[in-house]
Amino acid sequence: MPATVTSITPRRSSRQGRPPQSVPRRPFRDNPRLILAGIGALVAVLVAILAVANRTPRFSPDFLTEFVLYALSAADLTMLVALVFVLARNIVKLVVEGRRARPFARFRAKLVALLLGMTLVPAVLVLAVGSELIRTSVERWFNAPMDEILTSANQIAGDYYHERQMLVSDHAKRIARALAAVNLGNPDVRPIRDLLAPDVTLQRVQMVEVYRVGPASGSLPGLEPVIDVAAPALPPGYSRAAADRLAAQALTGSSDTRSIETLGSSGDLLHAAAVIRAKDGRATGVVVATDYLTGDLALRSRRMTQAFEDYNQLRVLKRPLAGVYLSFFLMVTLLILVGATWMGLYLAKRITRPVQMLAAAAREIGAGRLDQRVEPQSNDEFGSLVEAFNTMAGELATSRRKVERSTIELERKHIETEIRRRYTETILERIATGVVSVDAAGAITTINSAAARLLSLDRAIVGQPARAVFDRADLQPLGALLAGAGRAKTEPAAQEIAIPRQQQELHLAVVATALVADSGAPEGVVLVLDDVTPLIRAQKVAAWREVARRLAHEIKNPLTPIQLCAERLRRHFAGGPPAAKDLVDECAATIVGEVESLKDLVDEFSQFARMPAPRTVPADLGQLVADTLALYNGIFTDVRIEQRAGAGVPLVRLDAEQIRRVVINLVDNAIEAMERRGQIIVETQLDPPGGVVRLIVADNGPGIPPAEREKLFLPYYSTKRRGSGLGLAIVRRIIAEHGGSIDVGDNTPRGTRFTIELPC
Amino acid sequence: MKNRFTMQPRKHEGTKNRKTFSFSYFRLFVVAFVLVVVVARADGQDLSVLPIARDGQVLISFELSDGLTEDVRDAIQSGLPTTFSYELELRRGTATWFDRTIAAVTITATVRFDNLTRRYQMSRTLDGRLEDARPTEDQDAVRRWMTRFEHVPLSTTSALEANGEYYVRVRAHTPPRNTWFFWPWGRDWVLGRAKFTFIP
Repeated sequence: MPATVTSITPRRSSRQGRPPQSVPRRPFRDNPRLILAGIGALVAVLVAILAVANRTPRFSPDFLTEFVLYALSAADLTMLVALVFVLARNIVKLVVEGRRARPFARFRAKLVALLLGMTLVPAVLVLAVGSELIRTSVERWFNAPMDEILTSANQIAGDYYHERQMLVSDHAKRIARALAAVNLGNPDVRPIRDLLAPDVTLQRVQMVEVYRVGPASGSLPGLEPVIDVAAPALPPGYSRAAADRLAAQALTGSSDTRSIETLGSSGDLLHAAAVIRAKDGRATGVVVATDYLTGDLALRSRRMTQAFEDYNQLRVLKRPLAGVYLSFFLMVTLLILVGATWMGLYLAKRITRPVQMLAAAAREIGAGRLDQRVEPQSNDEFGSLVEAFNTMAGELATSRRKVERSTIELERKHIETEIRRRYTETILERIATGVVSVDAAGAITTINSAAARLLSLDRAIVGQPARAVFDRADLQPLGALLAGAGRAKTEPAAQEIAIPRQQQELHLAVVATALVADSGAPEGVVLVLDDVTPLIRAQKVAAWREVARRLAHEIKNPLTPIQLCAERLRRHFAGGPPAAKDLVDECAATIVGEVESLKDLVDEFSQFARMPAPRTVPADLGQLVADTLALYNGIFTDVRIEQRAGAGVPLVRLDAEQIRRVVINLVDNAIEAMERRGQIIVETQLDPPGGVVRLIVADNGPGIPPAEREKLFLPYYSTKRRGSGLGLAIVRRIIAEHGGSIDVGDNTPRGTRFTIELPC
Repeated sequence: MKNRFTMQPRKHEGTKNRKTFSFSYFRLFVVAFVLVVVVARADGQDLSVLPIARDGQVLISFELSDGLTEDVRDAIQSGLPTTFSYELELRRGTATWFDRTIAAVTITATVRFDNLTRRYQMSRTLDGRLEDARPTEDQDAVRRWMTRFEHVPLSTTSALEANGEYYVRVRAHTPPRNTWFFWPWGRDWVLGRAKFTFIP
């Protein structure tokens, strides 16, 4: 019931002719063929071990102890290490999984422990009992009766051989003594043959070979064969080589004068050599006597000895041999243990892994990776469960995609709304119209910079109650309008409100509009404020200009007849009585003088009313000021006029004649105000951020009270004893028609300061 | 036991220039050895080594005392062919690297006891080549045959540098071993070492 967690990747269009991607190899645990192959290999190893163990009796003890034991021990250790590693690894994994509370971790641990216990306990018991059995069996190989039998058999065989050798040796010595008196150099060997024949005939020995000492070869004396007498019972095929070597060895004085020559299945030849010495002790020859042991006798003797040797070799190699068998047994046990352990772990994994896979996939999906799937590989109940899980994951993924699309759409709309909101805010911030919004609860929600500037409010008032904010004395009309609009809920309430601001009046056109939702519920009020002060001023100026024009028209016309009549009267009474003449002259002079004054006044009025539009050309304001101030040189000795030309003042479009009149008017006013004693500073400045050029005329005279500053620019307002009161009105009009502004303030430390701003 | 055993070194750097020395052309070498015989002990076995330079050759004599342990004697008496193997190395120590081997030979001594004839058949090989073989009935001769070697030629002195510090290392393997079955890799060899300074 295996299953695997896979991650679905986006399908890509494969190129034409491109080989398909290879299917990933399945792991060993999911590949039944590999599992069967592994089991088959395990069984094969077991069979091989059993086969080798079965053949051990054919192996030599040396081979077993020097090779097989090493190989088995190495294999045992390897398997033991593998077993310990597999156990330790899986124990650690089980512990870790248990601590991490993996699903089925405890169940898996119990399952593995159960399977291991079921295998380990019997295996260890079998190993212990089997080892003891092997040890006991090996001990039983060696026991006292067997020792005695084999030792005795070997002793008998050895003693028999030894006795036969000693007998042959005695015959050889006896024959050597008998031949001491025989001339071995005599070519006639019949005496020697006669001497030897009885021994051979009587089967005391089977063969006698006689050598005589010949000429020396090198440093050793040589031996020459003289005669050999052999019994017919001797098997064919024996050689003289062994007898020759033994004779030569005996002649050298070696104590080793016996040898055994094995003829294979034909038997053994027992040789014994004796040196033939003359009476003076000189070696004259060598006798080699040979006895023959038949094949059966030799074979039986060999078997007895072989059995004894095998037995003793087993005894010598008892421990290594027992080790070999124990190693075989241990290897089988370890193989079973390794196989059982692996199988237990495998079964536990096969049972619990699918559930873990599902849990892991569920965690992945819970973490937001909805493309996780569990690949079913069976059609059983678990396969149905996996299929249901995958269906659920697919539906989740579909829903997630829908939500993501909606989220993207919402984000897009939000961004659009935000852009629109920022655009509206920017407009609100940039326009000169003040806007204040109040929510349904009466708290101020919005106030733009124009409103804050016009109403002299800090923008931190947002969130404060409008009633408290507009409770200020100068803003109470606004508060009342706001309250009225809130109650009306219908048409916007418009009103012009004058607010005192820095000793002047600020005229605001205020419109309060109640905000009503589509449901009809009130959502607050919005106040829109427009500064109409310049408009009011312009209206006043226009009105005054109309008055001036009518006054000039209505007054100027009768002045000339009046003046002419007065002149006629004076001429008429020139010849009259002196008293009458003086009275008429005085009255006529007064009338003419006043008419002249009225004419001047009317001229000024006319000039104010009919002032032409400025013809502006780029001009150097500093130079214009300097030329104008030069007119005052030497006229007012107690007045010091100083010009300060600012740096970087550009050319300004202006009507030079009108601006000159402005400067003269302001300087004249300053001189009059200072009563022709003091200092006047005329300064030009550039204000790059504002994009204006400033012309400042400052004096250190008595100054102008703040209450009179607004009235200064109105026609017919003058603080001087004489004058029309039109000077500053004309100045303001000229500056206004140049697109600039004029303001009046206190000079530091004293005096008055007029500031003209002209666009540049 | 008189040793008729003659050997030539298997490899050494001065083989081509080796000269046959005789008394008439004998050059007297003043050979001074500073011998520090280091004897390794294992299971009560000692391996004493004595190098000597004579007649233009480095001759090694060594003896493995108590080499024929009870187990070995039992093995021999049981008829098992028993072989002692000796690896002889002439080496020169270096301070910074592995010691350099100048010459090396391997000698084996084998004995097999025939329980029927009660005779020992003994043989010796040098680098796998049979050098000598003989029978005996004397157990003491067997002991000497297996454990005592005299004047084994290991190298020519022409391969040595004057006043050079050298040492001879002999490693003896003496099977059979009676080891524990689960861990058969017990130490089965005895090591002997002797230092000397070659002064021509």
